[in-house]
Amino acid sequence: MAFNPRKFKKILIANRGEIACRIIWTCKEMGIKTVAVHSDVDRDSLHVRFADEAACIGPAPSAQSYLNIPAIISTAEIFNVDAIHPGYGFLAESAYFAEICEACNIKFIGPSANVIRLMGDKIEARRAMHEAGLPIVPGSPGEVTSEEEALGLAREIGYPIIVKASAGGGGRGMRIVRSEGELGKALDTASTEAAAAFNDGSVYIEKYIEQPRHIEIQVLADEFGECIHLGERECSIQRRHQKLMEEAPSTVLTPEQRKTMGDAAVAACKKLGYSSAGTCEFLLDKHGAFYFMEMNTRIQVEHPVTEMVTLADIVRNQIRIAEGEPLNYNQDDLLIVGHAIECRINAENPETFAPSPGTITAFNLPGGPGVRVDTFVYSGYQVTPFYDSLIAKLIVHARTRELAIARMKRALDVMVVEGIKTTIPLHQKIMDDPRFRAGDIGTDFMEYFLARNGKKAVSA
Amino acid sequence: MSTPKEQPEAAGKRPRAAQKPAASVNMDELRELIGLLRDNGLAELELENEGFRVRLRRESDRAESSHASAPHHDPAPAQTPAPAPAPAASGPAHPGTQASTAAAQDQDLHIIQSPIVGTFYRSPSPTADAFVKIGSNVEPDTVVCIIEAMKLMNEIQAEMSGEVVKIYVENGQPVEYGQPLFGLQS
Repeated sequence: MAFNPRKFKKILIANRGEIACRIIWTCKEMGIKTVAVHSDVDRDSLHVRFADEAACIGPAPSAQSYLNIPAIISTAEIFNVDAIHPGYGFLAESAYFAEICEACNIKFIGPSANVIRLMGDKIEARRAMHEAGLPIVPGSPGEVTSEEEALGLAREIGYPIIVKASAGGGGRGMRIVRSEGELGKALDTASTEAAAAFNDGSVYIEKYIEQPRHIEIQVLADEFGECIHLGERECSIQRRHQKLMEEAPSTVLTPEQRKTMGDAAVAACKKLGYSSAGTCEFLLDKHGAFYFMEMNTRIQVEHPVTEMVTLADIVRNQIRIAEGEPLNYNQDDLLIVGHAIECRINAENPETFAPSPGTITAFNLPGGPGVRVDTFVYSGYQVTPFYDSLIAKLIVHARTRELAIARMKRALDVMVVEGIKTTIPLHQKIMDDPRFRAGDIGTDFMEYFLARNGKKAVSA
Repeated sequence: MSTPKEQPEAAGKRPRAAQKPAASVNMDELRELIGLLRDNGLAELELENEGFRVRLRRESDRAESSHASAPHHDPAPAQTPAPAPAPAASGPAHPGTQASTAAAQDQDLHIIQSPIVGTFYRSPSPTADAFVKIGSNVEPDTVVCIIEAMKLMNEIQAEMSGEVVKIYVENGQPVEYGQPLFGLQS
């Protein structure tokens, strides 16, 4: 065994909630001590209780606590930690924070500051990843000024295309064009609509992605240029770009497509000099074409579904990579076993999606075969209104998707959270939806689902 | 008076069997120790013997502070909070637990709390006098201590007026946000 100068003895977790607990669990398994930081209202959170050491770093507002870099670095120095795990959200994608950690001789568990910065600028990220070989949604480089220009571009891109307002949003100034004959008229109406709505009539065109799915590829890369992927996650069930439920593997990806997308993501990450865990997000159209959207340079909320089907511990890999260890398996070792589904249990009204803070008066965790719950709350815990509404992630694993759905249903049935409203009833309804059960999902699923079920969608 | 670091004898670390097996300290020895403390301008002295430990602390003008305790009543060491102490059930090591408990008993006092996490210093430099001591009268803009965070010395003001009657933390001790530092009587 080679001498390793970066073996961690103690890690500070610059986060809260279920992900802070998740990181603590792996640290315990690795024999690494943990330091929790918390705001004054999070004193009773489980991440504080189960860390070896803890410090209150500020009041409730994130800007003064979980985003307070001087307080976090100061705590890291007082407790003499080797590394900081940023979790997701808060400082996880702050290149500035990663640089400060480095300047203070504390290892930031994640990729280099340069890569974080590059991927943080979404336009630059697409350009860089396109150069690195990933397909992106084709479109006009900027505003389209004449019908001739539009016709030429559309011929190159291929129909259907979508005309969008440069200043746009909310569906206004948008037209889908399926053939050349419709293009002239669509440009005119979109431009007029845009001028009326945004006082700016400029429009651009883009390939229209039909029935897109949100498919993402999990990658792991070490500091020696080795990189592998752990297959995909299907995250199409979203509401306002917030994921509600995720599964692995996707119901539509063939092994060949998985290999094509995975290999493309790995090649791009290698070109980028990526290290640590990361996720490339793609749109997949109904014809099987895929387009790079963005890369998340951190652990993701939905990472457990990948862990369940691949038996990998992604947090452990992040820590080992940050310690300077090489990846200890290669692409051929990837195994995808069975099917996993994750439901995000949010403290929200399942009909209106309004946040529902309050005290949890009763709490029962489901268990039994193939069930995992990642959470930081308990009976008597007070859900505060200061942070995101995710209180638990319920994950199931079974041999097939059908069995996983059955398992999720029975787990949801016995998951009791009283005192606050949660999204449990919503997930129960989705599990019974015929389109969901058939695996016929896309990013438009929730629109369809809420329209179909109306207000009664989730009367528990 | 400045407060130097704990004595080299800083008890607790020493293997218990290494000492001669005297079971207690008599009054003469205690007086001798107090003299040692005063004559050498020390602020604190701690000595452990087989099954016995004495800790003396001088708070300048304060008459307080000489308490003997059994070996296992270990006050949290200044630098590294122990990995797993047991303050009520199984919580983690918090820098502020003791001070918070102490301050909770002083409900009639106005408490100056730490506005940031960092290392607490009572004086502007190791050789300088403390900003305030027991009996000092402070105004809202009086600097009462320094809290070092990321190598920056942050001067902390009282933000209220009154007489300092309690000091909850020791020089060089890590403090967290909201931790009680001083108790004032108005």
